[in-house]
Amino acid sequence: MAHTLPSSDQSSDQDKWDSGGLECKGQLLIKIVMRNRLTALVVDGDTTCWVLEQELLHSYGVQTLGVDNSRDAVDLIASDAEFNLIIIEKILPVLNGLEVTRQICEIGVRCKMLEVTACSGESERQAFLAFGVDVFIEKPLDPEHLVPILRELDGQ
Amino acid sequence: MDRYGMQNQIACIRRSLFDQGYLDEQFIQLEELQDDANPNFVQEIVTLFYTDSTRLIQNIELTLTSRPTNFSKLDDYMHQFKGSSSSIGAKKVTSECAVFRQYCAAGNAEACIRSFQHIKQEHAILRKKLEFYFQMMGQAAVAQTT
Repeated sequence: MAHTLPSSDQSSDQDKWDSGGLECKGQLLIKIVMRNRLTALVVDGDTTCWVLEQELLHSYGVQTLGVDNSRDAVDLIASDAEFNLIIIEKILPVLNGLEVTRQICEIGVRCKMLEVTACSGESERQAFLAFGVDVFIEKPLDPEHLVPILRELDGQ
Repeated sequence: MDRYGMQNQIACIRRSLFDQGYLDEQFIQLEELQDDANPNFVQEIVTLFYTDSTRLIQNIELTLTSRPTNFSKLDDYMHQFKGSSSSIGAKKVTSECAVFRQYCAAGNAEACIRSFQHIKQEHAILRKKLEFYFQMMGQAAVAQTT
């Protein structure tokens, strides 16, 4: 059964908020116009995060591919698949995120790499940055962190 | 109840979820990702979370009963749990996960067990509240088309 939120005739912002948030679309999602079609690889073993991160990227017109384990991620990169952006979680099946990052960099990939993880200490953060990750973000991935990166990749 | 009354009730339910600290701003982001092309996105992602996290809870329970306690494995599971719960805006669940990880880091098995009970409680409470919220939204949608 479709659960479409009811539309609201009320004019005030408060009423629109109360009607379920749909009328306030764009409140958190920062609107940008992309000039180019960017591509992203999302590497996360958790399905909820994997789906959500891809959906967020889709909302900005980014074409995505998602893998739920490190082995598939490395194999994909090794097969010359190219991406503008790679998003990696720290805890992954098979190899951890740090090892995946190291292997991807060893292959010679030079795209923007984001580490998006639930929590981590400063030493781990520094280790990822040293291995080639460009930005370290604590979950959940949000537009505030993502949009500047997309703008940069889009040449804006 | 008329449509406006239902909308009001839904709005109150939703507001209380935020006011009582069950949900945070991240849930609003889920709502903003929902559109005509993806009309059930919020409910789908919440359902996905509960499917995955139920399995995770089983794994954690098994690990908690094993001796010696594998704190590293527990920490990895809880890392995942915290990540997915924060991604749907489950504020209290996420907070409890952070507390658990502290006990895990301290190697305190008994405290981990107690903390895990809190996580399961918050997880179950939120599930019931969201199920009710989605049920009300479904009824309102049906009422709107009749």
